[in-house]
Amino acid sequence: MIKHQVNILPNEVKVDGKALKVKSCGSTMLTDLYREYVGDYPKFFKMDTLSKVGFIASELLLNAEGDRNFEPREDRAVIFFNRNASLQADTHYQSTIQNPENFFPSPAAFVYTLPNIVTGEIAIRNKYFGETSFMVIDDFDEKIIRKNLENAFQDPVTKSIIGGWVDCSDEEHFEADIFLMEND
Amino acid sequence: MDELIYTLKQQIIEALNLEDMKPEDIDENASLFGEGLGLDSIDALELIVMMEKNYGIKLQDPTQGKEIFKSVAVMADFIAKNRKK
Repeated sequence: MIKHQVNILPNEVKVDGKALKVKSCGSTMLTDLYREYVGDYPKFFKMDTLSKVGFIASELLLNAEGDRNFEPREDRAVIFFNRNASLQADTHYQSTIQNPENFFPSPAAFVYTLPNIVTGEIAIRNKYFGETSFMVIDDFDEKIIRKNLENAFQDPVTKSIIGGWVDCSDEEHFEADIFLMEND
Repeated sequence: MDELIYTLKQQIIEALNLEDMKPEDIDENASLFGEGLGLDSIDALELIVMMEKNYGIKLQDPTQGKEIFKSVAVMADFIAKNRKK
C-alpha cells in the first residue's frame, strides 16, 4: 500500500499530488529545496545530481510521513530504478582524467560513479540497515518495478520500502517518482 | 604564512564543495576531521589530490595525511616547507 508519493521534474515538485511552490529550475531548484526543506545535511553539496534528486525526493517523502527520529532500523528498504545509471557522474569524472597534462582524478567525483550511491546516501542519512539496491532497466516499466518491490517484501525483515524511479541525464534533466510503501 | 592559510582555506572550500562556508568560518587550529570541519575519508583523498595539483606535493606515504591534515595551520606549515610550485 502506497502511503506517500513524491514527484520531481526539473521545474515541478509534487508531494502526495500537491504541487510545491518552486522559484527556480534544474539543479538550482534542488539546492533551493535543500535550503527550504532540509538545511542540516551539508553533505548534500558534495553529491552528484542523481544523488541530489534521490536525496531531496526522499527527504520530502519522509517529511510527509512525519515523526522523523533517525533511530537505526532494519525494516525499511530503499530500492530504486532508472535508465541512465550514473551517467552524469561518469561523464564528469571522465572530464577530470581527460587531459594527460592535467591528470588529477577526483576521488569526490569518482565516488558517485555508481547509481547505488543514492540508496546508500539515503540509508546513511536515515540509519536504515535494511536492503538497498538500485536497478538499471531499459525504460520505465511499472510491471518490473512492482515485481521487484513485491519480491523485497518476501524477506522476513522488510516492512516498508522507499522505492521508485530516480533518473538523471545531466544537471538540468532529471526525474524522481518515488513512494513510501508498506506491506499490506 | 597568513596569506597561505587564507588561500588554503579557499582551496579547501572549493575542493570539498563546502558550499555554505567562507574562509573566515574555518578556524585554522581546529581539527579538519571528526569534530572540527567533520571531513571524511573521501575528503582526505581529495585534499591529497589538491596538494599535488596546487603545490606539486606528492605524498609518498598516505598515512602521513593523518599528521598533515590535523588542521589548516599544520597543513599550511607542511606546504610552506615542501611545496614545489
